[in-house]
Amino acid sequence: MTAAQGLRLNRPRLLVGTEQAWTLTVRSVLATARKVDRWAPGLIFPLAMAAVYSSQFAKATGLSEFPEVDSFLQFILPATILQGIAFNASNAGTDMASDIETGFFDRLVASPVARQSIFVGRVGGAAAAAGFQAGVHTAIFVVLGVPIASGVAGVVALMLISIVLSVGISGFGLAVALRTGSTEATQSMFPLIFVMVFVSSAFFPTELMKGWYQSVAERNPFTLVMDPTRQLVISGWSWGHVFEALGYSLLIGLVSLSLAYRAHLRRLRRS
Amino acid sequence: MKPVEAEGLVRTFGDVTAVAGIDLEVAEGEIFGFLGPNGAGKSTTVRMLVTLLRPTAGTARVAGFDVVKEADSVRRLIGVALQDAAIDPLMTGSELLRLQAVLHGLGRRRAADRGSELLERVGLTGAADRRVGTYSGGMRRRLDLALALIHRPAVLFLDEPTTGLDPTSRVAVWEEVRSLNDDGTTVFLTTQYLEEADELAARIAIIDNGVIVREGDPTVLKGQVGDPTLRVEVADETTIELARQVLGAFGDQRPARDGRVAIGLRGGATRLTDVVRALDEQGVPVAHFELDSPSLDDVFADATGRRLEGAET
Repeated sequence: MTAAQGLRLNRPRLLVGTEQAWTLTVRSVLATARKVDRWAPGLIFPLAMAAVYSSQFAKATGLSEFPEVDSFLQFILPATILQGIAFNASNAGTDMASDIETGFFDRLVASPVARQSIFVGRVGGAAAAAGFQAGVHTAIFVVLGVPIASGVAGVVALMLISIVLSVGISGFGLAVALRTGSTEATQSMFPLIFVMVFVSSAFFPTELMKGWYQSVAERNPFTLVMDPTRQLVISGWSWGHVFEALGYSLLIGLVSLSLAYRAHLRRLRRS
Repeated sequence: MKPVEAEGLVRTFGDVTAVAGIDLEVAEGEIFGFLGPNGAGKSTTVRMLVTLLRPTAGTARVAGFDVVKEADSVRRLIGVALQDAAIDPLMTGSELLRLQAVLHGLGRRRAADRGSELLERVGLTGAADRRVGTYSGGMRRRLDLALALIHRPAVLFLDEPTTGLDPTSRVAVWEEVRSLNDDGTTVFLTTQYLEEADELAARIAIIDNGVIVREGDPTVLKGQVGDPTLRVEVADETTIELARQVLGAFGDQRPARDGRVAIGLRGGATRLTDVVRALDEQGVPVAHFELDSPSLDDVFADATGRRLEGAET
């Protein structure tokens, strides 16, 4: 075979596509792992928030409408995980935008890679990072003496919910990244997600809120995921709560990934 | 089947026409130089040929396949190294080669073997496990070249492969391109460097404002420009008009930078003494005097009325 004949490839498309998606996922994970400023804020900032909130609101657990918990730390565990996910998810969008800005996206598109693999690689990277981060956060809380009422099965469910929710949130960042191709525009999504986290039941039960804030918080998709997830931590195992949290996370993912995939196809068509 | 064929290729962006209907043919096994100033339409043309941009009108076939209807087949057979070597700085050279191999559907073992072979070829074996962020510009370009070759492409597109490189790195890239071409790879090279096109390309096309203004063998094109260029720099700027009048009698004026007059000297070097005598008789003080055989810059100037890099070569 001469140099100019090309390599003959007779491998099944599905196998090749899966291998490509896996390799691009590994690339996303490596990119996160190799840059401290990508993973450290998502790991440390939520823990710092948990420390501050559990000191500030320690006595709030005695209020009549506050759920029965071992400590405020136990109440806030799902919120800590959610904040970590929000940080991670923003990385997925920013990294995609960066690939577009630097021309790496063009390198991928100029190759015969399965188009879905480019997308799956980014989402897969965010999911892997979220699962890892949720595991670390939960482990730290357990070491600090926070009981997980649903036991080991509950920890596994927490990680699964985290992964699915992370995919869902990262979908919004990916949609903006693919639509605009700008890291600045994608990063501007980040405060919006954090506002949504704060206007939810993440840090305080909605029963103790009032007026419009309570109405917004009760309808906030993050509340719909947080509440059943929290029940796994404070009340014990329930398939109903697992399905409820996963279901709402999947719904968020369905909406965000549809938007992101449309933006992906639009960008590919533009070329 | 020609490795690259384009007919009436057009690309517009809103009201701006970047490529205004070009025809191209690249023969098997040649290095084809695509030359033009910044913004002339070079990169837009390449992006259409490598399937990154859809043409607004016209057709193009690369490696025998239509760039729009059979884009995936085109992608399997081309190697692409675009401007600015878009390489992930957080990955190592060998990781990027493995990734590129997977993108082209190579299995793990084949990817590893081919990666090692290419790292050796471009002289990066020692730096294979270092992150690309620590590479010099020349190393990045050589890695980019290796990435483009991972699947043994039939046609290799190099978009300004030496822009921003120091002279030593530039020569190293040229040697690699020549060596690839010796192995039978057809190379489509875009460049804004005249010397690069002159050094490497067997045939060139010059693009300006989205239109091909000259195409052919560089030697033939230079010969067609005809007379060598005489450039005279006057010592006293107030005599430049007088110098222009005197020199006008010896040949047609050519573009020149401020303070100079350039003409195509009819009769070549044999007329030099006459020119010097005429300038002296009219009292034109001369600061600098040079006679050049036609260059690709002269070919460009002849076609467009401008110098390619905004200055004489």
